[in-house]
Amino acid sequence: MGQFVQFAINGLMAGAIYALIAVGIVSVYKATKVVNFAHGYLIMFGAYFYFTFAVIVPGQPWAPAWLASWQPGWMVEMRGELPMFSPVAAVLDWVANLPRILLGLFGALVCNAILGRIIERVLMRPLMGQSIFAMIMVTVGLISILSGAAQLIWTADAASVPYIAPNMPIRFELFGTMIFLFGTDLVNMAVALLLFGGIVAFVKFTKGGIAIRATAEDQSTAYSMGISVPKVFSRAWVLASTTGAIAGAILATRNGISPSLGLFGFSVLAIVLMGGLDSYVGVLIAAMVVGVLEAMTQWKMGGGWAEIVPYVTVLVVLVWRPHGLMGQKEVERI
Amino acid sequence: MINANLKSSYAADERVLNNRYKQAFVYATILGLALFTLFGNDYLILIASQMGILLIAVVGINILTGYTGLVSLGHGAFVAIGAYAVTIFGNLGAGVIPAGLMPFISVPLAVALAAAVGVLVGLPSLRVKGLYLAVATLAANFIVIFLIEEDLFAPWTGGMVGINTNVPNLLGWELDTKREMFGLIAVVGLVSLLAAQNLIRTRIGRAFIAIRDRDYSAEILGISLLRYKLMSFALSAAYCGLAGALFAYFYARILPEQFELALSLNLVAALIIGGMGRTMGPVFGVIIVVMVPEVIKVLFGALAGDSAGAGQLRAPLQQIAFGVLLVLFLLKEPLGINQIVDRILRAANRWPFARG
Amino acid sequence: MSSAPRAGPKQLLHGGGRLLKIEDLHLSFGGIKALQGVNFEANAGEITGVIGPNGAGKTSLFNAISGFYKPDRGRVSFEGQDITTLSPDKRAALGLARTFQNIALFRGMTVLDNIKLGGHTRLNTNVWQALRYFGAAQKAELELRREIEEQVIDFLEIDHIRKYPITMLPYGLQKRVELGRALAMRPRVLLLDEPVAGMNREETADMARFILDVQEQFGTTILLVEHDMHMVMDICSRIVVLNFGQQIASGTPEEVSKNPAVIEAYLGAAA
Repeated sequence: MGQFVQFAINGLMAGAIYALIAVGIVSVYKATKVVNFAHGYLIMFGAYFYFTFAVIVPGQPWAPAWLASWQPGWMVEMRGELPMFSPVAAVLDWVANLPRILLGLFGALVCNAILGRIIERVLMRPLMGQSIFAMIMVTVGLISILSGAAQLIWTADAASVPYIAPNMPIRFELFGTMIFLFGTDLVNMAVALLLFGGIVAFVKFTKGGIAIRATAEDQSTAYSMGISVPKVFSRAWVLASTTGAIAGAILATRNGISPSLGLFGFSVLAIVLMGGLDSYVGVLIAAMVVGVLEAMTQWKMGGGWAEIVPYVTVLVVLVWRPHGLMGQKEVERI
Repeated sequence: MINANLKSSYAADERVLNNRYKQAFVYATILGLALFTLFGNDYLILIASQMGILLIAVVGINILTGYTGLVSLGHGAFVAIGAYAVTIFGNLGAGVIPAGLMPFISVPLAVALAAAVGVLVGLPSLRVKGLYLAVATLAANFIVIFLIEEDLFAPWTGGMVGINTNVPNLLGWELDTKREMFGLIAVVGLVSLLAAQNLIRTRIGRAFIAIRDRDYSAEILGISLLRYKLMSFALSAAYCGLAGALFAYFYARILPEQFELALSLNLVAALIIGGMGRTMGPVFGVIIVVMVPEVIKVLFGALAGDSAGAGQLRAPLQQIAFGVLLVLFLLKEPLGINQIVDRILRAANRWPFARG
Repeated sequence: MSSAPRAGPKQLLHGGGRLLKIEDLHLSFGGIKALQGVNFEANAGEITGVIGPNGAGKTSLFNAISGFYKPDRGRVSFEGQDITTLSPDKRAALGLARTFQNIALFRGMTVLDNIKLGGHTRLNTNVWQALRYFGAAQKAELELRREIEEQVIDFLEIDHIRKYPITMLPYGLQKRVELGRALAMRPRVLLLDEPVAGMNREETADMARFILDVQEQFGTTILLVEHDMHMVMDICSRIVVLNFGQQIASGTPEEVSKNPAVIEAYLGAAA
């Protein structure tokens, strides 16, 4: 039982991150009806940008020393007296890293927003009003471009990146067994869920969100009601690329940095389809379910099999419920 | 356009090679391929063989995506199934079945297996349109590669490190040189292309196109979406399986990583660049998709030499060039090279009158 | 113009009887009740008109008959066989053809290929024959081509455009090609959804003549939705009137045109 709870919690934490990645795919789909196959590669770029601003830039000779590691006198004093693995020490380590973490996150957000904007302007907008098929295939072409570009730009071996939250171990007892967690994982999960909730609230309640929903419903009507559809498109892409930047930073700390981070996009695509493409709630449920299933598979069958869990699940769900868990069946007008 | 031709029978009007130029082109191509097989240099034979193998797979994708309008991003899986199945059947049957007959049994079996898996993967697409199929096939691609790499099946598949393939033996004739293999690939490739062209001008091909253009209208004409979507899927998977079988025969060793997503994307890109839903589209597309990396390799070798660092840069550059090419065609010429060629031929046909 | 009648439908004409029977049909989308208890029969070899103001449920009725919408209640039967739950393609194979209000031709294909698609269910070329082409497939294709040329293309006087892509044709001709595609199915029942909508007088007269010719030569039972009252009154032998999903009248054109409920539906409450 205890093992089960441990793995279930691990699964939920992974699921929250899936949900954060999924939000980018769903938002772009809602606004533009384009399923972005290259979303994983946007996230990979987010991870590399985080790496650039949190590791490479602070490591440069011209960068001030406090950027790489902030060590004010009082902190060195406090740190010196603490034993290894103490929670306070973990917090202090985090504080020392805080400048570069903030710079990394900020840099990743800005650069990814620019990247998303460029993709929308240069590749998507010329195809607006034309076939959705072409737009989707453009995102397929983007897979090659982005993954090739990342390999060209970041040739150096990737070092580890700083965690975005204090990484103290947390232990507590549940159902008679010890549960073991890391602080940063909990914070990651909280950040992911908060962002997810924030975006859902944005789309539900704000004027910009209503514009996105109206565009999703009927592009030409939205246009004629005075909604600037191109603006909605670019807003959706920026939303996707910025949430992707955060997700990328988190993934970089969890899984390390490599071009294979892009593959996460495909697992999440499977999750999004399972949830129902345009339903945030369905996607959240699917993300959590897949996260937990993956953890269980890892527990029972080993890490390898966990890789294909999202793919097997999506095939099963699509046969059972073709429009996903919460997706809407379109009434066809003939 | 020309809309009046003097024809005295329906048979004459239904012909594909309906003028002398087209006939001459086809006969010249066959002659050219025969001469090339005999006298082409080794490097060119290698390149042409790659094109031939890829062509068969892209013709399959064309049936599915170009004619039926269903997108697949995972047909690399079926190439993998063809390649591994022909090798595994060959190994299992060695000693039981005479070597000279083996390809005649293992290749059809491999193709049938690919088609059967194709039907299985195509099932989710039946009730929903559009992208679900793209993701389902993508998922299938990951699953198939995973299973091939999985330790459980490694005794048969060789796992991550791959497996040595067999030399095909056609009734005692061992095709142990690349040149002989190219001969086989050229014949199979031509026949595949012709068969696809034939398919498209019968009721089945028309049903595919009808589903692509307007599915409810197809249904009202008595075309069962279920049956024809699955048929299209099975056929395209079978073509890819055949390509895979030839792939296994052509190379000494196959590795799972050769059939990953990159291959699936290559197939789709070749189709889009060449021209979807056109007979010659796959031919043009495959030429570009195979040539571009080669050209980059040659140019890069000339500029940077053969150092290890240069090699590291080359692969990403090829990848980028590939993506850029795909995107450019989608933005500027969505109907592909076939459309460009058509335009040139039309202009030539009208010369010296107005172009257009 | 070909005068060779086709065997099947002709016999049906002589056989008479009710070919298509709609019983107590109910259909709703969410809260909207599109059809509420429609009951009528289309007699073999006759032209039956379905009229009603916009939003009366005429196209919904057609979609329920051809199998796109599943009714909540009621029955659709064809030659005594209950077809309420059959899929559209199975109904087509039984001999039910239709045209659409907004032309639903295959725009990428030529006129000839569009019409050939109408012959789909009558061919039985399998995959192997198709891949080989020469032999059985070719024979079947040429036979279909001959039949279409003689019985559809000549009949509808569209031989000059047979190799044109659909996109190059004017609206009126597209409508005619769509009728041709339906005829190539050799239907026993033909559903025409607004066959003359958006046409000028001349085109309307042409289309009316073709519809009458189809009925006369092939004995096809025709069900017709139309707004052009002159045409409906002229060519239909029976008329069904719908309003807000309810059937408010049915009968001969004379009966219907005198029915107070119909007059009210079209003109508002009588003063």
